[in-house]
Amino acid sequence: MPRRRLLAFAMRARRLRLLPVLLLVVVAGCATFDPPKPWEKGQLAKPEMQFDPDPLETKTTLHIYTSKEGAAGGYGVGGGGCGCN
Amino acid sequence: MAWAEAGVAATDGGAAPCGLRAPLAGEAAPTGPACTLLAAALALPGMLPAAALAQQAPDRGVLTLRYLDYHDWQPGASRMSVQSPSLYLLKPLSESLALEASLVYDAMSGASTIAFNTMSGASGLGVTDYRTAGDVKVTKYFDRYAIGVSGAYSHERDYISRAGAVELRTWTEDRNRTFTFGIATASDAINPTDRPPEEDGHRNTTDFLFGVTQVLNANAIVQSNLTYSTGHGDFNDPYKIADRRPDHRRTLAWLTRLNQYLPAPDATLRLQYRYIHDSFGDDSNMVEAAWYQPLPAQFAVTPLVRYYTQSSAYFFFGPPLGNGFVPGEPYTTDNRLAAYGAITLAVKVERAFADGWSADLSLSYYQQRPTWRLFGSGSEGILPFSARWIGVGISKAL
Repeated sequence: MPRRRLLAFAMRARRLRLLPVLLLVVVAGCATFDPPKPWEKGQLAKPEMQFDPDPLETKTTLHIYTSKEGAAGGYGVGGGGCGCN
Repeated sequence: MAWAEAGVAATDGGAAPCGLRAPLAGEAAPTGPACTLLAAALALPGMLPAAALAQQAPDRGVLTLRYLDYHDWQPGASRMSVQSPSLYLLKPLSESLALEASLVYDAMSGASTIAFNTMSGASGLGVTDYRTAGDVKVTKYFDRYAIGVSGAYSHERDYISRAGAVELRTWTEDRNRTFTFGIATASDAINPTDRPPEEDGHRNTTDFLFGVTQVLNANAIVQSNLTYSTGHGDFNDPYKIADRRPDHRRTLAWLTRLNQYLPAPDATLRLQYRYIHDSFGDDSNMVEAAWYQPLPAQFAVTPLVRYYTQSSAYFFFGPPLGNGFVPGEPYTTDNRLAAYGAITLAVKVERAFADGWSADLSLSYYQQRPTWRLFGSGSEGILPFSARWIGVGISKAL
């Protein structure tokens, strides 16, 4: 894609609905930025702290949303498509 | 789907029992691979290994079986039913090499959603179809980076998809920040069941991903991904009358996720927000919140709420049929490209057992309504759409 068209596309994408973003930023901002030492990462290693603790459940759930909603993506790349959308 | 999952190693490893205590005075801070022992030490019931320990290969594998029962409907009409068994395997091949694979089989029956009075081809007349999909990913881990290569294949009676992806993850020396780069390509062949072969379609898609994962503190981690997708080819729905869509599609998706452990209730709050800008015009916003709460006797419950809102594709037209149709111009009546909002309510109950076994049951209810759309009006004349799905899973650490 020509660079000018890519920039125009990105500029149009900046019509963001900022309220959810601001909300997430505020919530994240309430967390103290204090990167832990290696021996302090026990909690982070637990499954409930992973972004995809159950890859199979995530895969099937996202497939449902992909087939029933207009927009999809953002969680990763690869995996191919389907005739569902 | 091969995830560009960017997690954080438990520790950096070393001679000392890593992670169980801070180093004593005069003792060197632990470094090196031995701190994978932390994952093993925490291998209590339910502590399944996860590929999301994305800075080192897992110590153990995991095998998961899942069964999904899905059903959707509109007012006065039952629609699609899907029964879907699936399987997932995570297997360390060596100390620095890991394999992931999954296999899904969908048995579909029923009718797709009615777009007012539009019926053509298989849509609306009732379908029985199947989908078999599989993917494999191999990840090689190095000291400060990991490379993953994956392939995927999906087959239906009227659709074949082949895809491949490469992913690079690299992290800072303290392993608190991870950068992820991914590229994927897919080639899809569309062979409608009610058309002659000369009307078969084809499309190619390429995706690019850039993500950053940052450990905020000992109890919080945040991830933000930008994904750009560009596709060319046949995007039409062959089973809808006069469906004609642009032959190219570009989307830009921004996903941000936060996991926060809360010591007081001993719970984990998971938040996520996603914005998608789509050249088709169906821009969307999605927010989701889940609360993971451990319970006595190795049980845990996770209630979840998700809200989704999208604008309509610029070539979507509501009833009556033919409204807005201009020969040669893009046109669709596909409800999925209408303007609406949608809410999901779900709850998952899981239990850990001895010897690395665990089981879970999840219930989800979903509904779309034009009146639920935010940031604008919903499409008129579109019926509400509802769905529910029930999932049962069982896992075993290998």
